Amino acid sequence: MAHFVIVGILVIVMTVLTYLGLDAAGLAKQMHPVAASAQAAPIDQLWHWEIIVISFLLSLIVVPMIYSLVVFRQKKGEMKDGEHFEGNTNLEIAWTVVPLITVVIFAYLGAYSLGEVRRVDPNAMVVNVKAQQFSWTFEYPEYGFITTELYLPVDRQVVLKMEAVDVIHSFWVPEFRVKQDVVPGRITEYRITPSLEGSYKVRCAELCGTSHAYMEAPVVIVSSEDYADWTVAQIKIAEESKTPDGQGKLLATKNGCIGCHSADGSAMTGPTWFGLYGSDVKLADGSTVVADDAFIAESILEPTVKIVEGFPPVMPPYALSDEEISYLIAYIKTLK
Amino acid sequence: MKGFFSSALARGLFWQLIGTLVGAGIVTGIRPLMGLNALDTFFFTEPAWVLGGFFGALFFLGGSGVVSDWYKWARGIDTPEHHEDHHTGAAKYINVSLDHKVIGIQYTITALVLIGIGGLFALIFRTELASSQLQFLTTDMKLFNQNGPQLYNTLMSLHGMIMIVSILLGTAGFINYVVPLLLGAQDMAFPRLNAFSFWIAVPAAVLLLMSLFLGGFDTGWTGYPPLSARAPVGMQMFFLGVFVAGWSSILGSLNVIVTVLRMRAKGMTAWRLPILVWAALATALIALTATQLIGLSFQLVMFQRLFGMGFFDPAKGGNPVLFQHLFWFYSHPAVYVFILPGLGVISELLPVFVRKPLFGYRWIAMSSLGIALVGFVVWAHHMYTSGMNEYLRLPFMYSTLLVAIPTGVKFFSWVATIWKGKISTPTPMLFVLGGIVVFLLGGLSGPPNATVSTDLQLQDTYWIVGHFHDTIFGGFVFPFFAAIYYWFPKATGRRMNETLGKIHFWLMTPSFFVLSLGMMYVGLLGMRRRIVDYDPALGIDNAHFILTIAAFLIALSVIIFLYNFFNSIKNGEKAEGNLWNSRSPEWQVPSPMPAHNYEQPFEVVGEPYDYGLNDGGFVKFVEPAKSKKH
Amino acid sequence: MAHSQNKSSDLGQGVVIFVYLTVLTILEYFVAVSFNATSLLIVVAVIKAALVMYYYMHIYKLNETDESDENSYEYKTGTNRIGLWLFLLSDAFVFAGLLVMRSNLLGLTRPHLNQVLGLGVTAVLLISSFFMNRGETAMKHGDIKGFMNNTIITFVLGLGFLLGVVLVEWRLAAHEGLVASFGNPTVGPLGGVFYMMTGMHAFHVFTGLIFLGVVWNNARKGVYTAEKHYPVEAAAVYWHFVDLVWIFFYPALYLIGTAVQ
Ligand code: HEA
Ligand code: HEA
Ligand code: HEC
Ligand code: CUA
Ligand SMILES: [Cu+2]
Repeated sequence: MAHFVIVGILVIVMTVLTYLGLDAAGLAKQMHPVAASAQAAPIDQLWHWEIIVISFLLSLIVVPMIYSLVVFRQKKGEMKDGEHFEGNTNLEIAWTVVPLITVVIFAYLGAYSLGEVRRVDPNAMVVNVKAQQFSWTFEYPEYGFITTELYLPVDRQVVLKMEAVDVIHSFWVPEFRVKQDVVPGRITEYRITPSLEGSYKVRCAELCGTSHAYMEAPVVIVSSEDYADWTVAQIKIAEESKTPDGQGKLLATKNGCIGCHSADGSAMTGPTWFGLYGSDVKLADGSTVVADDAFIAESILEPTVKIVEGFPPVMPPYALSDEEISYLIAYIKTLK
Repeated sequence: MKGFFSSALARGLFWQLIGTLVGAGIVTGIRPLMGLNALDTFFFTEPAWVLGGFFGALFFLGGSGVVSDWYKWARGIDTPEHHEDHHTGAAKYINVSLDHKVIGIQYTITALVLIGIGGLFALIFRTELASSQLQFLTTDMKLFNQNGPQLYNTLMSLHGMIMIVSILLGTAGFINYVVPLLLGAQDMAFPRLNAFSFWIAVPAAVLLLMSLFLGGFDTGWTGYPPLSARAPVGMQMFFLGVFVAGWSSILGSLNVIVTVLRMRAKGMTAWRLPILVWAALATALIALTATQLIGLSFQLVMFQRLFGMGFFDPAKGGNPVLFQHLFWFYSHPAVYVFILPGLGVISELLPVFVRKPLFGYRWIAMSSLGIALVGFVVWAHHMYTSGMNEYLRLPFMYSTLLVAIPTGVKFFSWVATIWKGKISTPTPMLFVLGGIVVFLLGGLSGPPNATVSTDLQLQDTYWIVGHFHDTIFGGFVFPFFAAIYYWFPKATGRRMNETLGKIHFWLMTPSFFVLSLGMMYVGLLGMRRRIVDYDPALGIDNAHFILTIAAFLIALSVIIFLYNFFNSIKNGEKAEGNLWNSRSPEWQVPSPMPAHNYEQPFEVVGEPYDYGLNDGGFVKFVEPAKSKKH
Repeated sequence: MAHSQNKSSDLGQGVVIFVYLTVLTILEYFVAVSFNATSLLIVVAVIKAALVMYYYMHIYKLNETDESDENSYEYKTGTNRIGLWLFLLSDAFVFAGLLVMRSNLLGLTRPHLNQVLGLGVTAVLLISSFFMNRGETAMKHGDIKGFMNNTIITFVLGLGFLLGVVLVEWRLAAHEGLVASFGNPTVGPLGGVFYMMTGMHAFHVFTGLIFLGVVWNNARKGVYTAEKHYPVEAAAVYWHFVDLVWIFFYPALYLIGTAVQ
């Protein structure tokens, strides 16, 4: 009997210590990093309960094990058998039923928590998200502009209607606690209510190819006034880019070209566009071509025909109209 | 060396090479017939590689000689039921043998080689992860037609799959070696099929490794399309390799089930089966059936790539999420294939070292089946964020949580077994105890993944990576080492060095705790899975550096183990009797076992784990019964 | 009636079952052409499958094992039977997976196929199963000649099925546009599903034919006797299994839902 009492106390002590240790590391009461959405609250709450149960179950198993190891150890040279004790049906039933009850409680809590996370606000604003290797673009249908940063007003629910162009990606802002895959051929929904102003990042969480690690885009939560200002500014930018090269830049954003081609000479999956126009391009087969209109058009429509030296043939073909291509060329011309 | 070149292994590999060329040649030869120019592309096009890879595996089997008996049967020639091995010593293990003990060791050694290779890959990419930014896997470097990040993805994906194959082979290893001995059988039910199951795994491993050299693949071990529909040819070799390895697993489990059903000694009723046999049976049920689905899902992607069939291509009306369902229908139950045999080993060894009966034997036996069965209906918990039907998430959350119950039964019963036992801790017992604690951590990190809303955060982070390294190490790696230390004397008549064994344990266990808990920690801080580089702003550079050190320490401990293993075969201390003072039948006879196992058959007269009781033991050896017929 | 020892009543049983199967198949066909009744079709398929499993594949034999002596032929045959059935169970998961794929991708649509041909090849396969059963029964009663003759008929019918599917049906389907790179954006992956399902089944028919050829040849050499002919039984069970799969694939591809061009 004394053994049970000691072990019981030790279990409680270890549970408390484990919990306090985790809490000291900042991992018990909430998940990391800071919570920046209303949806984070029920998730962090569920996590907290789980941590408590985990601390307890860990102690419940480990403590009696270690205790037995120390106390009931076979002494040196001793060759004794333990007490003959085959089992106890009541005990077995108890440790089937008690975890069953625990599990049922967690099933309920889990369903409840999910319900909270999925709670729908009919006034939610909509942003269309497009994911492709390896960039994110955001379209604001209310205003008709497209950006590469996601600006959202605080405390207003937003529904992201997301679609992937090529392969599966996953939209994840760790501070929002919610993650949703973005799948080609279907629109998936991501519903969130930002609650804390600040700058975050959406990080692609589904392996999508070579530059998956870098498939990030800024997410900025601002007050509703700042948000209104921002939309005005964006509309103005959209107005101003009615020029051919402005349109080209827009197309490059919209089609995700900027995911692989930089405008400033830095290396990405594809060759940079900086100084491209009119330059001599070395091809993988050893020949050289001049990057004129025809070459660029061909590179967009049928990228696999002429492969630039030193790059993998991974660029997908784009069925763009002649007009669109001319805009893109106009834009590329400006990059010097 | 001369012996090596005439061995089945060498012949098989040689013929695999020939087969690859023949297969590729056939495709290349067909091209002109279809009006395509044979010479405008390089000899090996993608279809050529695929048929080549496939033929390679077939030729391997023909060349190594595992199918020659069947070929004779097909021509109406009978072959003797049991050949004695005509090879001795090490040569026995690189030639075809029908003896389950030899096959078990072949499996085990192959598994160790694969763990070494997979671990080596882990060390490479862990080194890259030691700090943020790209260190040596840069975009400028080029190897096997891949730049640094691509190579990272290939190594990471291959690490996953090679390790998984090595688990399948490792569990098959000790199951093959031990189960017939525990049952009192002369061999497995189908010895030729048993040899076939092992040998088919060898070309499978070669195919898997070939993918590294053929442009690699960057999908992770899960191979989700559409990404896998676009990856380089290496993807096809990966699919093919897994497909072939799957057959090894399917046929091996078929054999285990039949053996357990038909080859038991007299008196060995269901409730007197050694617990490891129950575990093997539950495992085999999963592997026999579910494995077909990973084969099918991979085959469908292969065909989509080869013929343009639009199964998973949304542009053609296909459904990428369907793949995930087919894939996880296998790959979730598969995780229980990884652990059930290991948990069986834990349950089998605990009573021996605590000198007490296994507490709640029947409950433990049934919990294995329970885990296996419930395991079939939880697969979509890997897909909470995949965009599948929303309402499906709840039933899968409930079923997943249920798995905790039979698993819990095991833990509580183990604790009750240990409680008040007369515990001694030689190396196998250390690994058993380590395994329990490590698996507990892994198991307890499961429910947060199972509840949907927390998983929305945890999915695809290092938390998950930590979760499954814990479950896999606790459920497989630790028990595997325990099994090797425990049955090594049975197989060789010598025991492994205790001191080195203890060093192995005390080096590996703390390092592993650092590794897995560290993974969970960085995961919670926002570290995503499958990335070659992470944001320094996360502030996890130091943590990652420590993880890398831990990884190298684990590798060091494994190297010590490997030295101990191979050295002890020749130089180990002699141990021929009942070294662990066990009740199990295989320890009642001298080691190593003769070719046909028991000289005298035995009958079951007691309970398998009645330690502490002075009864007549578990089994009694009897005079061979006179055959009634023949 | 399944345990009869008398040859002519054994053969008679085969005929009766064949008649049942034929009637059900015709019923199935007419149900499908006249109205939409997916669940009815599933019920009919399950009944057919049960008949085949019990009377043609003799699943009850799994229980009939001689436990007396581990080294007897009978005991080993019992062991082999379990092995074979486990293999079939495993294989069934492939086909089940294909059916899942079909229902997920196509739902209540199906490829536009030649109904007469479909019914034709189905009938050929069914008849081949009938002769397979006769062949096996003959062997059980020591009639090697009868076994060989029936097996040849089975083989020829099986070959007819294989060629009917691979040479005729595949071409016709190709004309219907099902191949147009297997997944045609407007109609979805009909072609891919059709070719994958029939192809996987045809592969099994092909291996079944090889198996038949092997046992036929060995019977010719006199390897089998009335008491010892497990390979013959195995070949027969495998052949019926291939038929069993088609019992589900036929409605899945030809009868369920509405045809899409
Ligand atoms: C050896 C393998 C193994 C084992 C045994 C498990 C066991 C479990 N796993 Fe794990 N899992 C993996 C290997 C394994 N897993 C792998 C490889 C992946 C990643 C795949 C990939 O994406 O690459 C994964 C991923 C994974 C996911 C998907 C995560 C994601 O990607 O989003 C989930 C979600 O539910 C999950 C849950 C569970 C649960 C609930 C268990 C349960 O079986 C655990 C049960 C055990 C216990 C709970 C502890 C003991 C019980 C008690 C002490 C009783 C009392 C307990 C309670 C009342 C809670 N696992
Ligand atoms: C059996 C299963 C198993 C085992 C044992 C391990 C062992 C290890 N794994 Fe694991 N790992 C997986 C299964 C396993 N892993 C799976 C399934 C994935 C998922 C992949 C995916 O996402 O697709 C994964 C992913 C994975 C990741 C995540 C990668 C990413 O998401 O980007 C990491 C990162 O640290 C990692 C690290 C390690 C380390 C350091 C070890 C160490 O324990 C390794 C220690 C080293 C050795 C054991 C080798 C020692 C031997 C020698 C050096 C001698 C060489 C000898 C010969 C060649 C004969 N692994
Ligand atoms: C997945 C990454 C990726 C995307 C997205 C992408 N490209 Fe490319 N692109 C490449 C790569 C890699 C190359 C070099 C290999 C080649 O020539 O195909 C390339 C080459 C080119 C070239 C050839 C000339 C040169 O040296 O740059 C042009 C022009 C070009 N891309 C334009 C575009 C446009 C316009 C878009 C968007 C509509 C686009 N790309 C989208 C990867 C991409
Ligand atoms: Cu997009 Cu990863
Ligand atoms: Cu799982």
